[in-house]
Amino acid sequence: MKAAERPDCVVIGAGPAGLGAALAAREAGLRHVMLVERDFELGGILPQCIHDGFGSIVFDQVLTGPQYAQRFIDRVEKSGIDIRLNTMVLEMRPDRRITAVNPGDGVFELEPAAIVLAMGCRERTRHQVMIPGYRPAGVICAGAAQRDINIDGVMPGRRVVILGSGDIGLIMARRFTLEGAEVEGVYEIMPHAGGLTRNVVQCLHDYDIPLHLSHTVTFIHGRKRVKAVTVAAVDENLKPIKDSERRVPCDSLVLSVGLIPENELSKQAGVELDAVTAGPVVDETMHTSVDGIFACGNVVGVFDLVDWVTRTAETAGRAAAEYVLEEMRKEPPIRVNPGRNVKFVIPQLVRRPERGVDFFFRVEHAEKAVRTRVLAGNEEVYSRKAKFVRPPEMVHAEVGAQAARPREVTIAVETGGKKDISSDEE
Amino acid sequence: MSAEYQSLPSRAGLVVVGGGVIGCSIAREAARYISGIVILEKESDVSCGTSKANNAEVHSGIGEDAGTLKQKLNVRGNQLYDEFVRGLGVELKRQGMLLVVTQRTVPVDETGGMSESEREDILTRKIPDAIVAYGEKAGIKGLRTLTRDEVFATEPNVTREAVAGVFDETYGLISPYKLTIALAEHAVINGARVFLNTEVTGFRVEDGEVKAVITDRGEIETPLVINAAGVFADEVADMAGAGGFVIHPRKGASLLFDRQVTAEYVRSSVAEFRMPGQKTTQSKGGGAMPTAEGNLQLGPTAIETGDKYDTSISAEEIEEIFERFHYLLPDFPRDALISAFSGIRAPTLEEDFVIGASEAVRGFVNVAGIQSPGLASAPAIAEMVMGILHDLGLPREPRPDFDPVRPAPPKFSELPVAERNRLIAADPRWGHVICRCETVTEMEVVNAIHAIIPATNMDAVKRRTRTGMGRCQGGFCHGRVASILARELGTPITAVTKDGESSPVFLGMAKDFLVEEKR
Repeated sequence: MKAAERPDCVVIGAGPAGLGAALAAREAGLRHVMLVERDFELGGILPQCIHDGFGSIVFDQVLTGPQYAQRFIDRVEKSGIDIRLNTMVLEMRPDRRITAVNPGDGVFELEPAAIVLAMGCRERTRHQVMIPGYRPAGVICAGAAQRDINIDGVMPGRRVVILGSGDIGLIMARRFTLEGAEVEGVYEIMPHAGGLTRNVVQCLHDYDIPLHLSHTVTFIHGRKRVKAVTVAAVDENLKPIKDSERRVPCDSLVLSVGLIPENELSKQAGVELDAVTAGPVVDETMHTSVDGIFACGNVVGVFDLVDWVTRTAETAGRAAAEYVLEEMRKEPPIRVNPGRNVKFVIPQLVRRPERGVDFFFRVEHAEKAVRTRVLAGNEEVYSRKAKFVRPPEMVHAEVGAQAARPREVTIAVETGGKKDISSDEE
Repeated sequence: MSAEYQSLPSRAGLVVVGGGVIGCSIAREAARYISGIVILEKESDVSCGTSKANNAEVHSGIGEDAGTLKQKLNVRGNQLYDEFVRGLGVELKRQGMLLVVTQRTVPVDETGGMSESEREDILTRKIPDAIVAYGEKAGIKGLRTLTRDEVFATEPNVTREAVAGVFDETYGLISPYKLTIALAEHAVINGARVFLNTEVTGFRVEDGEVKAVITDRGEIETPLVINAAGVFADEVADMAGAGGFVIHPRKGASLLFDRQVTAEYVRSSVAEFRMPGQKTTQSKGGGAMPTAEGNLQLGPTAIETGDKYDTSISAEEIEEIFERFHYLLPDFPRDALISAFSGIRAPTLEEDFVIGASEAVRGFVNVAGIQSPGLASAPAIAEMVMGILHDLGLPREPRPDFDPVRPAPPKFSELPVAERNRLIAADPRWGHVICRCETVTEMEVVNAIHAIIPATNMDAVKRRTRTGMGRCQGGFCHGRVASILARELGTPITAVTKDGESSPVFLGMAKDFLVEEKR
């Protein structure tokens, strides 16, 4: 085997996160940025997301997934970034040594000065939500079905039941309908929809597709191909209610039951993961616990909007460049604590509050008339009210430059009690 | 042209009904003596019944009742195994089995009839000694008792309730479908032929002798028939008038876990020792064990089912397995579950193997009732059946031209770097990884499709290459594998199936349904 190549920075994954990070690293002055992608083209999941709704924050425009991706791809292709397609990373070690393979280069080793992890996420499968029954053809995850239809041009189902009302499930309910397939209904185990409200309206209501809340699939029928599923209402402990069971004839069951950040490589390299986000613990520069390894986008935690993925990617790419150019200060990081009604916050650590920080977080439960507060120690550094917050929608809090260096930062969502909530400006 | 579309021969020296591990073991052994053996399999691949959905165990025989044919053939089969798989390119791992004696093996005697020291002596000395003595009497070698500390040194994750154990070092694991495929291919290399998608519908019997096998694709004249039809063996025997036994299908369900999470969670097969009266089912109780490929598995259950096709798994079964193993492995990582499957076992009413030449129909040999430990017993069953076949006229002289080697296709993930690069330089498809979780390359899929026993559907490719067996369960690779199958088989992608007829992966091309609606 050839001697290891030594790029300044290797970005793993060329979806929105990887594209943004590679560009930012290159534009921040790195000479050799290598972008490694396992698929045959750049863009990650975006080329299959042919619906619109992308780019409202980054471009102040509503774009389709392929359009959003193309804006980055055009720049990446002109920027002198070393693109390796059809390339799988086989191994990544704590000393940042990478082994990868592709048909042209064979197996090759990389010893980059910095790494940006941008592997995105994968879909939870049938067995991870423990759906009993047979194992026939026709049980498929929503994102995989989306790729089948929009990239490969094949229909994985014709009479479809969808379990889970995450955004991909909702989008696919509409997509199947537009293709002349029949969507019998979308079943959601929780008492509320999992995806964005706009998707419930635009993908289900507009097409008269029923959404059955507090329902789940309890059995898959059919030995060779799906013939039917049994659905049932669930009680307050999410357990199926036996006598509510109903058999629904169908030829496929499409699952939209959650996403899991794809961190198998991160684990190999010893990157510390957060038990709640299932992604690396990062500071505000998106630096992980392993020196010189950064992470951005859905590999860190599942974002609702691609625009935020791009935001974290640009931060990670710039920081990786800075790290390589040895400008990064080795200050001990400040912990960020999730406070009242906050499930998790990205980043979990802050190193340089004097530069300002973008926080992203999800709430634990839906609430109306709330105020998001960011406390640096005891001092309030950010406060903004919102009409409502919901778990599917990520909250963004942009905190400006801070002169002080607090011991810890807390982010909380509060309701009532404060007279000025109603009078405050948004 | 793939094997399934070849026309049937008019004659064969031996016809084996059933392409499971037993049928293929017998065919491979018989191929040492004659050429032109025919294996008939009604499914789209070999190893599609019980042989694909079990716990891959090469038992030692310790779990079997003394004096049964099962025990005798299990002990002998285990001893023959290394020789049996030589040259096949399938790995047998003798990782051993740990039988754990726990506090609940003998519950505290609340009536005071037994003192605590008596109880401790029973648990830590008498029971382990008795298990070893029982096994040694059956001819099992390599049994030893373990103290509590030795139990934890062997398997750190077992319950603190463990008090002693027995280690059974000859216990092994082998991929049952890889073994079956390799045996079938080895038989073919030595002149046998495998016909898939071919169902036996009857036999021609004249003057008490079998003359021919009748299938849905034609008739084959033969003087010798092996009935290795698994759960359908009773029906096949009845077709020839050579029956007299009943198979009552029993379902065994198991759970499989992500091998990255559960690697080394247990290193051997681990089972809890229960007193005979504590067993709740006919099954030996199952265990926790790595698969031949390193995933942890739990199970199986044992549930009577009236349906020979019932490979479903119920919510209760999943919960039962978790509950059962919660005691043995209290900190078990439940979240790492990636798959659950069940297979049908083929017990007879007597719960023992039924192996022998039919008295009613000369030339017809039943090899039935093969439930656990059938995989472990396969070499000894084949050996026993050779004896029966020799008596029925199979030549006793081995063929001088028997080829002892079945070349195994290279597995990219297991090769050293230099070898990987040599292959990629020769064909770039070796460098194209299409299954991320299991690191499977395009060339491995192509090789499986064009193998001696060709893989013609998604599950057949999966059994040979592991595509779709990882944590994403085919989310990433299924479209890629389907495209390669369509390309290599020269069929439209809509003809690609999961596991043969009636299991299409796709139901049409995009826009097809809209065009149909307009008509």
